[in-house]
Amino acid sequence: MFDPLEATLQIGSSGIQAQSKRMRIVTENLANAQTTGKTPGSNPYTRKTISFEDEVDDATGANVVKVSGIDRSRAPYRTEYNPGHPAADEKGYVKLPNVDMLVELADMREASRSYEANLQVVKQARELINMTIDLLRST
Amino acid sequence: MALGAVQLFSLISRHNQWLAARQATLAGNIANANTPGYKALDVEDFNQTLDTLGLSMATTQPAHMTSGATQAPVAVRPEDTWDVTHSGNSVSLEQELLKAGEVNRAYRLNTSIAKAFNRMMLAATKG
Repeated sequence: MFDPLEATLQIGSSGIQAQSKRMRIVTENLANAQTTGKTPGSNPYTRKTISFEDEVDDATGANVVKVSGIDRSRAPYRTEYNPGHPAADEKGYVKLPNVDMLVELADMREASRSYEANLQVVKQARELINMTIDLLRST
Repeated sequence: MALGAVQLFSLISRHNQWLAARQATLAGNIANANTPGYKALDVEDFNQTLDTLGLSMATTQPAHMTSGATQAPVAVRPEDTWDVTHSGNSVSLEQELLKAGEVNRAYRLNTSIAKAFNRMMLAATKG
């Protein structure tokens, strides 16, 4: 039988990993919120999305989370009239990334909240292990 | 007399085993708090598992899996939760952390009782 507390630590770390990846994607989106194409009429940076799925770990039977895929958003690009821009098409419109700052910030908040929750679980599991070890210590 | 104490120790260890399994289940819920379609789980009440603890679920087919990290002494069931999001995820972080706090408190109580009983027995044997 596997130690459930060991499994808890593993699950917690899988959650932390998944949320940090999500944070990375949010940062990439925010950093490239103004990235346009280089040639006339070319596409700008496309927003990345991340999705999760639950997975049963074969070794411990723990119900861990893993990143199931990083895709590109299919939302339409914003356009702006700017004829002098190198990426402007023949009518003078430039395609801008489909990144919405507000959505990204909300996503970031949720990621950091979930990260905290996972961290809290790891902390508590460690506390439980310490309590058990303390049984040996104080006699 | 001694039997009573020994039974208490076994009860404490079984309850702690149950609490550890519950903690693992809650950890799985929290890790999957943003997984679409994930349903929150919880373990069966300790009262119900107390009698059957030690028995494991029958695997009548090779494809049957043991019930996760708990390895069957503690059964897992879908849990009624506070809310279900649009993606079909029913994990509420607040609820899970509240339960984790409960587990922590019960575990501390158990270890304290075990410690106190151990002290008493040692006091009796040392004289």
